Amino acid sequence: MNQLSNLGDGFLTVLTPMNLLWVFVGALLGTAVGVLPGLGSAMAVALLLPVTFSLDPIGAFIMFAGVLFGGLFGDSISGILMNTPGNSTAIASTIEGHKMAQDGRAAQALATSAIASFFGGTVAAILVVFFAPSLARLATHFGPAEYLALAVFAFVAISAVVGESILRGLTSLVIGLAIALVGIDGMSGASRFTGGMPELFDGINIVVITVGLLALGEVIAVAARRGTKEEAKLITSAGRLWLSRKEFRLALPAWVRGTTIGVPFGIIPVGGSEVPTFLAYGTERRLAARKPGNMFGRGDGRGVAGPEAAGNATASTAMGALLALGLPTSATAAVLLAAFRQYGLQPGPLLFERASELVWALLASFFIGMVVLLILNLPFAPLWAKLLKVPRHYLYAGITVFAMLGIYATSSKVFDLVLVLAIGLLGFGMRRYGLPVAPVLIGVILGPLAETEFRRTMAVSEGDPFALVSSPISATLYIVLALGVTGLLVQRSRARKKEESRLMTPVA
Amino acid sequence: MTTESAPDRGHSEFLARRTGLVMPALLLVAGVVLAIGTFTMDVPSGVASPGPQMFPAFISVACLVFAVLLAVDVLRKPEPEQVAARTAPATGGTAARTAEPTTATPDGQATAPAATPDRDTTAVGGATAAGETSAVGGAAVEEPLRIRSNRPAVLGLVGTVIVFIALLVPLGWIIAGALLFWGVARTLGSRRPVFDIFVAVAMSSSIQLAFSAGLGLNLPPGILAGVF
Repeated sequence: MNQLSNLGDGFLTVLTPMNLLWVFVGALLGTAVGVLPGLGSAMAVALLLPVTFSLDPIGAFIMFAGVLFGGLFGDSISGILMNTPGNSTAIASTIEGHKMAQDGRAAQALATSAIASFFGGTVAAILVVFFAPSLARLATHFGPAEYLALAVFAFVAISAVVGESILRGLTSLVIGLAIALVGIDGMSGASRFTGGMPELFDGINIVVITVGLLALGEVIAVAARRGTKEEAKLITSAGRLWLSRKEFRLALPAWVRGTTIGVPFGIIPVGGSEVPTFLAYGTERRLAARKPGNMFGRGDGRGVAGPEAAGNATASTAMGALLALGLPTSATAAVLLAAFRQYGLQPGPLLFERASELVWALLASFFIGMVVLLILNLPFAPLWAKLLKVPRHYLYAGITVFAMLGIYATSSKVFDLVLVLAIGLLGFGMRRYGLPVAPVLIGVILGPLAETEFRRTMAVSEGDPFALVSSPISATLYIVLALGVTGLLVQRSRARKKEESRLMTPVA
Repeated sequence: MTTESAPDRGHSEFLARRTGLVMPALLLVAGVVLAIGTFTMDVPSGVASPGPQMFPAFISVACLVFAVLLAVDVLRKPEPEQVAARTAPATGGTAARTAEPTTATPDGQATAPAATPDRDTTAVGGATAAGETSAVGGAAVEEPLRIRSNRPAVLGLVGTVIVFIALLVPLGWIIAGALLFWGVARTLGSRRPVFDIFVAVAMSSSIQLAFSAGLGLNLPPGILAGVF
């Protein structure tokens, strides 16, 4: 039970007034950003990244943990009350959640969602505490070929799953890989695509890319949508914020099921919580249809409980995978990986040895963050919704100012501001034309890793391509990947047929 | 595919539903630039066998391939014919893009004009709706609409950012940052320009105080150098 004593040390690190303050600030900021439509925790972390430079790494990372989970707690608030999910991870829980709100049960929907987030996140965090060290030990056996396999897995999985079409996902991935090429090649020292500009020798800073794509791109997209019908009505939430015993008893199995669905999805790189949340929604819907008292379509609490728990469980285990393997399985994890690198830390098996204080403090801050967020969200959810009443132009003007501040503060280079504008325009174009943004981030972050590991494998094997698949671990990964993609394609075409037949028949 | 544009629709209509071609064009340019850069790269001598040119060559080919595939995809699945209705009264389809709707008042123009049902457009519209903001199981199945891009707002926003970048070092953070806030708020529809000046200055000054004095970030003082 080494983990428990380590975790205890982690709690001791976090439970200082200053670090508790960072957890609280992170939770506050994360929820606020999560509530705002179109903005998620990935963007919040990216915006905070430059600002936290003067903090020590532990303070910064426990704040990021607060932001990460705050975003997941917050994104369902706007979904339930306005039918505009704060983030794609909240789409599934919005379906029933908003119907509950329309039915006058907004408070119960918010409570179900907050408890679900807490439950899923906490249970998954406990699993991470017990299994991440073993995962890290397993990962120490990984060589270049295995890491390349993991990176390829992440590339394909995230491109295939995020967004509507695999073509568009892969296109986004290629854009990310291309951006990552700029700079001096670490292995040979050759200067690549810098145009001779010294500003580009270190490559394009990941903060510039994330802030440009996620923050500025979204602001430009908001500007482009201005004047169209987009204002949604805010349902005010009144009444009791607690669940009755009956509601609780109904929601509890859904929380458990959602968590069970969500946990494995954090470890495999499928790009965040979209898939598990929808899987959980589908499961609850199907299970409810078998029994009397099915409220699906009219606002069923289980339709909120399952997806929310799944989403947070995925986020927790995704952090475990990031820490133990150094592999980002979602956009948020990708940004956090960038954050680790900014502090000169490389997540992966060695992190548990080299920076064990940080790792265990971070894991402990998950639990503290969950409790803080439950307190912030359960009684105060209607208060958060008030944030949606702040005029949009001030909100997004503020975000623009913070984005620019962050970029300039990191590097003190005006050139980076020009880059962030260019990438912001790219991000807008991608949003406008339906290209997912997450694969770009994964491509930018894992592209150089994939290239290095590939060249290492080839150098060691003296150009024998079979070295790429010869180890059992990498061969297994490629096989699982092939099976997964095939399964996904089959399932997608099936779902499309179903959707078509559903659209053809009028809704009863 | 059956979505060949009907003869009565003009050439501009054909392109208007396929502005998504911008993205493949961008990829094409990226692919060509990468290819040229790869060929002209100065490779230090004595580099191990898969050198620094292999991966870029691969990516440049991938850029070109996906440019073609995406272009085909965009051509085959055009965006919905009907453009999303504006909340401001518009005189016609194309006149809208020239009018800056600063005095827009929401009126009851919520219902979209009915479009001819088209299987392809339904698929595309449904996809964007699910990916963007509205929930999947929405109440009524609405007619898919092409996203209307508010060009003046986008240009105003980008222009504001460019002005900010140009003025940041000469004028300093407080003035340039305030200008940025003011400009963005204005292009996003704020109707209180004078009040906004106070908000903007308060915002940039408090950031200067909190981050420069408090957290020690390096912000350009500009012409107000002596004050702080």
